[in-house]
Amino acid sequence: MIATLRIGAIAICLAIGLFFTLVSMVGVIRLPDLFARAHTASQADTLGAGFTLAAVAIAIGPDSTAAKTVLLLFFIFVTNPTAAHAIVRAAYEEGIEPWTQGEDRR
Amino acid sequence: MTGNTTRLLVPVTRSRTLRNTVAYVIDEAIGAGTDSEPSVVHFVVLSGWRSDDPGSEDERADAEALLDRVTFWAELDLEEADAADATVQIETTIVGTEEYLFSPSDYARVLSKYAKEHKLERVIVDPEYSLVGHITLLGPLEFELAQADLTVEEAPVERPTRRSQFVGRTNAPRFLALFGGSFMFYQVLGGFSDLLGGGVFDIVTGAMTALIVAVVLSNVSFYRNPSVVDSPKRIVRGLIYAPYLLYEIFISNIAVARVVLDPRASIDPKMTKIRVFVGSGLPLVTLANSITLTPGTVTVRARNQELYVHSLLQASRDGLFDGGLERWVRFVFYGRSAARFPSPLERGDTEVLQGSAVDADNSGETDEVPMSDETEENT
Repeated sequence: MIATLRIGAIAICLAIGLFFTLVSMVGVIRLPDLFARAHTASQADTLGAGFTLAAVAIAIGPDSTAAKTVLLLFFIFVTNPTAAHAIVRAAYEEGIEPWTQGEDRR
Repeated sequence: MTGNTTRLLVPVTRSRTLRNTVAYVIDEAIGAGTDSEPSVVHFVVLSGWRSDDPGSEDERADAEALLDRVTFWAELDLEEADAADATVQIETTIVGTEEYLFSPSDYARVLSKYAKEHKLERVIVDPEYSLVGHITLLGPLEFELAQADLTVEEAPVERPTRRSQFVGRTNAPRFLALFGGSFMFYQVLGGFSDLLGGGVFDIVTGAMTALIVAVVLSNVSFYRNPSVVDSPKRIVRGLIYAPYLLYEIFISNIAVARVVLDPRASIDPKMTKIRVFVGSGLPLVTLANSITLTPGTVTVRARNQELYVHSLLQASRDGLFDGGLERWVRFVFYGRSAARFPSPLERGDTEVLQGSAVDADNSGETDEVPMSDETEENT
């Protein structure tokens, strides 16, 4: 019973994680410009990685290794926005105008 | 000597060459001043805080103590030089308490404004002058001030060996905090097996590793001393903040996912500018990173106290202007009382930088405008 529940929880977390990673990928293709894509790229890093790591933690069980996945998530959460900010800021300083409603797709 | 430039502005901060700088300045002032037209010396402290920050009282007291000491030194030097009291006037002030100052250009702006108000013409800068932590701002500051038509010079005083820019001084609290942190991190990676199981291998290797880390890096890891009371409090409040941040991330992830997957939904990206009140350094970084972590908003620039945020949807803009994250960051760093703070929208610190005209064209609700005019007249 417990084992089934656990496998179910792992499956659900994995599915959600993969779903958000997929959404992120679709978004990168669909959205019009770099600034808009930056938003969706962070989805893969937050909930995508978050739920996948949660699945890993459940699979490992109450072990010190599970604590490492939490640490891993923490470091992703610190570094991901920094990288996203660096890219967007570089684009902004290059003088790229963010896309707004009513413009043609680039 | 320099004749007419007898009105001096001297920014001061705690530094090892401050004493000598004061001596040099007073010497200059005596040389240039006469009985009829006395030299004027303004010693100013540029504040790194805002006067309504919690805890700013301590910083103000600290700055005042520094100015008292500078005045004392200056008077001592005047006495020693046997100058008549009238030849040199000394003034001290703290400036910039109305706003957070971040970059050299901010400091320069405040300094040159002050200089203009008091008709000061010449700025003498302590060679070890630095404001934010241990980063020496002297170079950029001199450059900016020279742009503002002020004569700038560095006090030619003896200075101790030149340090590289990033490296600060280490001390016991910093060393211990870094040592403890690294040691605990090592134990977490090792699974606490030895610490709980009575073994020694992990403890010994952990201590050695932490020692190396602390010796090598404790001079670059902090820009102010960790405090025994505040730092753990901040960590605990940060842990309370984490679930809220995860919740926000979850909600906005769903909103963005909906827009990405739904072929009929349209996005409405706009650049916005928002003025935040969280203090420079780590609090600002935390807020900007939290904003970026939330899908739908990305921090593009952090300049002075203003964040340029690109937002994808109207909903994400509303959330941003509502200031939930800002309040939470204030809570994490300054405690519960600081979290009761009006939202950026209420303060009027928000601005949408792009495309209000495009918005009106696209919305197709041109009837809306006369309607709203009418209602205003009726009420």
